[in-house]
Amino acid sequence: MSRENNSERSAPIDSLTPWNHPAVIANHKARKARDNMMRILVICCALLVLIPLGDLLLMFAVRGLESISVPLLFNNLANPNPGLSNAIIGTALLTLLSSAIAIPIGVFGGVYMAEFSMGGRYSGGLRFAADVLAGVPSIVLGYVCYLIFVIYFHWGFSALAAAIALSIIMFPYIFRTTEIALKKVPVSLKEGAIALGSTKTTMVNKLSLRFALPGIVTGILIAVGISVSETAPLLYTASFADYNPTGLIHNQPVAYLTGVIYEFYQYNTPVDVQLTLLATFLLLLIVLMLNVVARLGLRSYLKV
Amino acid sequence: MVTTSLEDKSVLMNEEDTREEAAPTVYDHGGPQPLDVLIKLVDFSAYYGNLEVLKDINLLIERKKITVFMGPSGCGKSTLVRTLNRLNDEVPGFRTTGQILLEGQDIYAPNVDPVLLKTRVGMVFQKPNPFPMSIYDNVAFGPRIHKFTRNKSELDSLVRESLEKAALWDEVKDRLGKSAWGLSGGQQQRLCIARALAVKPEVLLMDEPASALDPGSTSKVEELMVELKDNYTVVLVTHNMQQAARVGTSVAFLYKGDLVEFGPASDVFENPESPLTEKYIKGNL
Repeated sequence: MSRENNSERSAPIDSLTPWNHPAVIANHKARKARDNMMRILVICCALLVLIPLGDLLLMFAVRGLESISVPLLFNNLANPNPGLSNAIIGTALLTLLSSAIAIPIGVFGGVYMAEFSMGGRYSGGLRFAADVLAGVPSIVLGYVCYLIFVIYFHWGFSALAAAIALSIIMFPYIFRTTEIALKKVPVSLKEGAIALGSTKTTMVNKLSLRFALPGIVTGILIAVGISVSETAPLLYTASFADYNPTGLIHNQPVAYLTGVIYEFYQYNTPVDVQLTLLATFLLLLIVLMLNVVARLGLRSYLKV
Repeated sequence: MVTTSLEDKSVLMNEEDTREEAAPTVYDHGGPQPLDVLIKLVDFSAYYGNLEVLKDINLLIERKKITVFMGPSGCGKSTLVRTLNRLNDEVPGFRTTGQILLEGQDIYAPNVDPVLLKTRVGMVFQKPNPFPMSIYDNVAFGPRIHKFTRNKSELDSLVRESLEKAALWDEVKDRLGKSAWGLSGGQQQRLCIARALAVKPEVLLMDEPASALDPGSTSKVEELMVELKDNYTVVLVTHNMQQAARVGTSVAFLYKGDLVEFGPASDVFENPESPLTEKYIKGNL
């Protein structure tokens, strides 16, 4: 009552139908103006998010691609005419290895959390642990993995030590997105499967995973993107190498794209600048592609 | 053509006393034959934590009849029907006392496998819940997980047979490979009935199967229930009294977890014993 009463009204509101009462109309106009202002503000903020990304992509696409050449992509850094092949192969190797470790553990862990833990107190603790793990600075994980795998296990700087460090970083993302995606499967569908005589495992395999797949894949792609973008833990575990990996996954340092940026940004020779710019562009491209694929996959799947 | 030991489902139950002795007549059945009882609830109570949602229920469910559980929201009728195939086992804090005897075997006994029980006691839910897959795969879901059939043609004929029993075959025979989510609500519900029938249950539990459907689809589902009665024991939950009166053989009226009244449908509707039942039927509860 009180709020309506302090607007200055020329006539009592019930003397006219409300829709053409001057005070109601004035109030409506004021609200409309506020609405428009808010709309403009929100749009501006949204654009501000887009600007850095667009700027980044444009700048590194132009500068990275202006000098692109066959040797730059297919030679390694030890070559007199240096290129990024060792870093590209190294990043691919590390991504494959770390995914091979993190995806099964993350997905199975997520399945446990969503379907088998029955919401007990252990599941709360596990979820908390995963969240903390996701928040641990990656350089700390790198140092710990260095102490354990590189030094204590005598693996040396190696793809395996690096892949384990990366998989620890990837794990919480896959774990949590799998759990969330599975929890989004409607209870009515799960009960339908149980009522037909499915065991929990059958239900998960034939129904829940299928339904939750887009969410799980999105989580995996995000985790892969994060692992491709990591630098700090790799400096401690993979070190860096000028040569292509030979397939040995222990006692052999590995190169990676982020390492190129880290190693070469401080030099000013044209070739070093080229290498850094191209590595940056390739990383941006990979992360962008992972996101686009995740989106497209999601969209086509949801059409079922 | 279905080969595996479907008839041997009684293995999971006690081989002895597979059929209830003619029970002492709980109500006037109106006929000379003794009751052919398939499920018997004895002092059955159910709890969510400390909340008692079903109180000392004693009830007989006859073979190849439609037994209706009726009552206002929250009376426990859905809980009751979900205990008949142990669908509430996973609900945290849910527990039961007393017995539910299916052909004399307590289904809550430790030696009963709740997964196998569900092949004897199928269920259709309130909201149609087809899986996000093709119509064919929906019906084939149960037979596939239980490996009922040896080859594709056996599966095909089981799928067809189930869809025919659910009066859906003619409408979907040309689009079996299409997504089940493209069907109308009423078709989806009949698909869910077909899917339940494909597991070859003896009992079909239907938890308000028509409450989300339009009147035309509702009457189709009701006709279907009456047809199914020839081969299956149907337990229907509804808050729709007209529906209960149209299809029910016997009617149980539940109120706040108590079984207030139980008897042949005509008796309950025309001559209710309890004033509560009478109030409910007149719409005053």
